[in-house]
Amino acid sequence: MDKKEVQKRVKNVVAKVLKINEAEIADDANFIFDLGAGSLQSVQLIAAFEEEFDIEMDEDKALEVQTISDSVDFIASYLE
Amino acid sequence: MTTRFKIHQKNLKKFIYPDSVAIIGANNVKGTVPHDILLNILNTGFNGKIFPVSPGEKFIAEVKAYKYVVDIADPIDLAIIVFPSSVCHLALEQCGQKGIKAVIIISAGFKEVGEAGIEREKKLKEIAEKYDMSIIGPNCLGIINTDPGLNLNASFARKMPEEGNIGFLSQSGALCTAVLDYARAKHIGFSKFISFGNKVDINEIDLLYYLGDDEKTKVILIYLEEIRDGRALMKTASDIISKRGKPILILKAGRTTAGASAAASHTGSLAGSDEICDAAFEQAGIIRCDNIEEMFNNAIAFSYQPLPENKRIAIITNAGGPGVLTTDAAIDEGLELAGFSEDTTKILKKNLPATANIKNPIDVIGDARDDRYNIAMSNTFKDDNVDGVFVILTPQSMTDIDLIAHEVVKVSGKYNNKPVYTSFMGEADVSVGIDILQRNKIPHYSLPENMCKSFACVYNFKKRSNHKALETKVFTGIDKIMAHTVLNEAIKTGRSYLPEEESVRIIESYGLPVLENGVANSKEQAVYIADKIGYPVVMKVISDDIVHKFDVKGVVLNIKSAKEVQEAYTSIRENVERLQPGARIKGIFVTKMIPAGEEVILGIKRDPSFGPVIMFGLGGIFVEIFKDVCFRVAPVGKQVASSMIQQLKTYQILSGKRGNPPRDIEAILDCIMRLSQMAVECPQIQELDINPLIVLDENKGCFVADAKIML
Repeated sequence: MDKKEVQKRVKNVVAKVLKINEAEIADDANFIFDLGAGSLQSVQLIAAFEEEFDIEMDEDKALEVQTISDSVDFIASYLE
Repeated sequence: MTTRFKIHQKNLKKFIYPDSVAIIGANNVKGTVPHDILLNILNTGFNGKIFPVSPGEKFIAEVKAYKYVVDIADPIDLAIIVFPSSVCHLALEQCGQKGIKAVIIISAGFKEVGEAGIEREKKLKEIAEKYDMSIIGPNCLGIINTDPGLNLNASFARKMPEEGNIGFLSQSGALCTAVLDYARAKHIGFSKFISFGNKVDINEIDLLYYLGDDEKTKVILIYLEEIRDGRALMKTASDIISKRGKPILILKAGRTTAGASAAASHTGSLAGSDEICDAAFEQAGIIRCDNIEEMFNNAIAFSYQPLPENKRIAIITNAGGPGVLTTDAAIDEGLELAGFSEDTTKILKKNLPATANIKNPIDVIGDARDDRYNIAMSNTFKDDNVDGVFVILTPQSMTDIDLIAHEVVKVSGKYNNKPVYTSFMGEADVSVGIDILQRNKIPHYSLPENMCKSFACVYNFKKRSNHKALETKVFTGIDKIMAHTVLNEAIKTGRSYLPEEESVRIIESYGLPVLENGVANSKEQAVYIADKIGYPVVMKVISDDIVHKFDVKGVVLNIKSAKEVQEAYTSIRENVERLQPGARIKGIFVTKMIPAGEEVILGIKRDPSFGPVIMFGLGGIFVEIFKDVCFRVAPVGKQVASSMIQQLKTYQILSGKRGNPPRDIEAILDCIMRLSQMAVECPQIQELDINPLIVLDENKGCFVADAKIML
């Protein structure tokens, strides 16, 4: 899966979990600062990414990922 | 003054009296810090504009929310960041772009969590400096300003405190909420209440300076855990106390830190950071308190009542026992029982029952009602021999507790040039009276002992404020170049310790009295030196490996002949080889034997917060056992040096009591001041001991008998 596809699906998941318009999500948006994710939603996002991409992520490392672009790279590393 | 200090002073007005506040990272989740801070600002009637900033919300608590602070069209005076620590720098950057100069960062997750947090703080500091912003926090409770013209509770404390004239600064946020709760129960009000947390930018000195000028603040309280710049704190506090007359009370945590136990010198082992802190506060006029209760006991005395002119107190009680207890406590605190004038005595005799005690303490008897308290209070207040009145009450079945409390309020209001303190003893029954007293700003103490302690505290502050500024003397004729040459050379060669003969040279260069001496490397040389300086002499081992020479029997005293010199030379070398094998002996120090005198110790220690500190005390080999020593931050003038000598428990040994002649105190004062100058001018010296300094009788001088310097 190429990164463009990963990014598209990441944005889709984020829009659903945070209940925001997908079109408003910038490529480098910060989950907390730009998209208003709270701590509970951060955990929900990890679960949703795992389900979407059928992967199991290191939760501590996943929680350190703060932006859309970083999460695309992080998820892609599991897909390689 | 540094540039940042000036910037902070300019920006502090916007922290304390903002026209508009943005809460960045606010949310709609009740019971969370980002939500409760916004509610606190909204609910306490803040007289300014409020802008929640939240990327996920359109409205919070029915107030329009903005995605970014830069989206707000209005100017913003104060921003409060409540985002998680990982994104605070993003919010701060936008604050800078928006032109906001005052930012409180409430969020935790910085220095207190380790390396990652330290890096985050660095980033905040860089951004603040880039935009000339000032930051309070992070990891703090926030700010409260009770000024009725503003009403700002920009904190996550549960309730707004009452208005008052006490300014409170705290490094701990959690302690603040406990203090607010404690104070609310006692109707203690605040002018400003500021939690400054990790002090990444603004620190206690910036805030202290601001409160020093704040018209609404009469008393300043500070809770501190860490002092980074002790000298600046001393200077700021001293200026505020002397120029503004505002008392500063500090509760400094960390009394039990045992940082000095492994030190190589006597001074190092005796001068723990807490002892130095005590001394520095005392010098600056800061009142150090041991706990919150003591701090507020003193604070209400300063806050509610005039300062007493003198220390003569009148005690009015309806119970004999508490009257005696109060008398004992008052005397213990150095107060005096007032002797009443003839007029007062006559009126009391005429108007109180025959069974009443009309002498001080006045016992109005157990069945006393408000009228007797009125008579006793009114007439003692009017008496010129009285400087303050203590009112004590115990709850008998006929005691009108509430009426008596009202009477205290009424009478003290009429004679408001003298302080009145109260102790309604008990708990449940007296609570109604205590509440009346506290609501009416009459200092109340559950124990009379605490009442006496607080009066003494206030009186001592007043007494001290009458003193002129203390001056220090700068001695001329000092061979500073020689001292620096020896010290720098030693440092250059990697040495951490100067043995006696080199230490003595440096001490001598600052004009302290040392005895004629020489270094011998053979018996013959020792005899030659002893013959030259005259008998009796003292001989001591010189070795970089030996710190305490007596412990290895490396000292022989009172040597009276050439033969004894030769014997001493051999025995010292043999003792050292036996008791500390491997110690490198550099020679034997031969010096004049000093006539018998009193042994005192002088020392220097360099403290990370307060810089060079001077120690003085009872000397000799038992100095660490008796611990009769005291400290002052250098430079030390004659008055302060004199206070050091008088502070010793064994002062009377020096001043000549019980048939002993007085010792040469003037000579000690001269030594303390010269050593103080050395401490300031020679930063290479980390620790120094002169132990003992032998002090002879009055006008006969004193002599350095042993010394060592740690680099």
